[in-house]
Amino acid sequence: MNIPKLVIKNITRKKGRFVFTLLGITIGIASFVTLLSLGGGLKNEVKKQASELGANLIVTPKGWCAYEQISVLTGEQLPEAIPFDEVKKISAIKGLTAVPYLTERTAIKNNPVPVIGILYEEMKAFKGWEIEKGDYLSSQDEKAVIVGSGIAQQFKLNPMDMLTIRGEGFHVKGILKETGSKDDIAIFMPLSAAQKLYGVGDKVSFIAVKVDDISKTDEYILKIQETSNVAVVSDKQLLKSVLSIVGTVSITLQLIAAVAILAAAFGIINTMMTAISERRREIGILQAIGAKQRTIFGIFLLESGFYGILGGFIGVAGGLVFSSLSAPYISQNEFTAFLKGSDLAAALDLRLVIGSILFSFFVSIVSGLYPAWKASRLTPVEAISYE
Amino acid sequence: MNDIIVRTENLIKTYNTGKVKIFALRGINLEIPRGSFSCIIGPSGHGKSTLMHLIGGLDKPTEGSVFIDGLDITGLSNSGLSELRAKRIGFVFQFFNLLQNLTSEENVETAMMFSKTPEKTQKEKAKELLSLVGLSDKFNAKPSELSGGQQQRIAIARALANDPEMLLMDEPTGNLDSESETEVLSQIFKLHKRGKTIIIVTHNSEIARKAEIVCKIKDGRVDK
Repeated sequence: MNIPKLVIKNITRKKGRFVFTLLGITIGIASFVTLLSLGGGLKNEVKKQASELGANLIVTPKGWCAYEQISVLTGEQLPEAIPFDEVKKISAIKGLTAVPYLTERTAIKNNPVPVIGILYEEMKAFKGWEIEKGDYLSSQDEKAVIVGSGIAQQFKLNPMDMLTIRGEGFHVKGILKETGSKDDIAIFMPLSAAQKLYGVGDKVSFIAVKVDDISKTDEYILKIQETSNVAVVSDKQLLKSVLSIVGTVSITLQLIAAVAILAAAFGIINTMMTAISERRREIGILQAIGAKQRTIFGIFLLESGFYGILGGFIGVAGGLVFSSLSAPYISQNEFTAFLKGSDLAAALDLRLVIGSILFSFFVSIVSGLYPAWKASRLTPVEAISYE
Repeated sequence: MNDIIVRTENLIKTYNTGKVKIFALRGINLEIPRGSFSCIIGPSGHGKSTLMHLIGGLDKPTEGSVFIDGLDITGLSNSGLSELRAKRIGFVFQFFNLLQNLTSEENVETAMMFSKTPEKTQKEKAKELLSLVGLSDKFNAKPSELSGGQQQRIAIARALANDPEMLLMDEPTGNLDSESETEVLSQIFKLHKRGKTIIIVTHNSEIARKAEIVCKIKDGRVDK
């Protein structure tokens, strides 16, 4: 006989109570892991998209809020508010490259897909795109589109296929090589064609700017603002403001999970207090045959900790499975639209796995402290005389 | 070696129940020789079990001292008392007090676990002791599957697990039918023959007749 064996025998003797208490901590940890994993995936993806954007500065209409800034990264439809004249003025500033975006939406087989109007030559140079199949755009007026690899795969598109966008036919001219960014899930068409199709005059949604000398970014911001009546945000500021929103959402979700874990902790305390009350006599027997107070304390603390370790393992596994299963469904939401396919990296985060199990163990140990102390304070005679 | 294994000196135990002070023991002086078979008898509620608890270090006296082999155990810490109980005293109770979720073998092993006996030795010795009390076919039986007499024999095997010099028994046959009582008593007498010091709290006149020392407790005092 050894202490761990005794602990397992004790804890599993009331199977129903064991299972329900274990479920409490398991569900708490599973929800914690799910939310942390999804939040981590979201943050990684925001960072990835910000770097894939390839811009040092984003020029937006004045008065855009954070949601619209997020949409720059997610590829959501944006209001068109910058006249093309402003694009020209900004492009004329020496030492920077400016590419305008007109981001709109269409639907293919009832699935929303971003349609982005671009200056095709400038964009190709800006992004370093390569063509997988077919050809690249060759005129601002042609009624053709190029599509990202993800869209081509999802809707089984090939060069020369026809796509109907807003009731007009466009032929698929080429398919982009996979970039790993949101460019894979968008349709690109010449800017003027997009402006005509969506009836937005000569306006664009935002302008991505790459500067030649990163150390002079602040100077360029001033120059752009002097030249044009627009707002300028650096990629770092954009990332920071988007991450702060994502962070707030993550923290809120984690707080909800923390409440679940707190409830589970009280479940453990309740179970342990009941066990001590039922096993008073047994505590006396153990003391009579030589168990020290600290051994009794240790036995009950381990029983409580066992819930944490086991609940932690099952909860982490359940949370990871649930987060990877649920990610595609949550990705229907536009805020988390870019989660798809990004959850795996977070799921394999060893720090999250070990951290959550340790957290679970810690919570259950803390929950067990008071009951274990109560058990160890019983004197042998009062415990053994208990009927 | 000291021939007196247990000595009590003016042992007083009081309990406070609200404003009332109850005297359980009113100054007990007692000497138990090593290897003897002693009985503590007396009416119910007169302090027999309290005396046994104090001798076994399960409780502390309000005044006075208990000496085991010359060592004043009333000065020992809780941890020191636990060690004393683990290594030098074996208890047998009226209601067996076995751990219900463990098998008979595991019950005996648990006592050895607290004296830090290696697991392999625990297993061997538990089997040996259960065979000694005639339960070699009940190693894996849980207490609920056994008769009262069998349970008490397991309790005796557990009390012997750490090879203590002294066995303290509180009404060991008090909850048994006559057949089981005979079984258990024969085990107890055997143990005495093997040299163990046995102190029994009992109402059983047969045990008292066979005892070498009989100490009658009445109103918390030794009744001469």
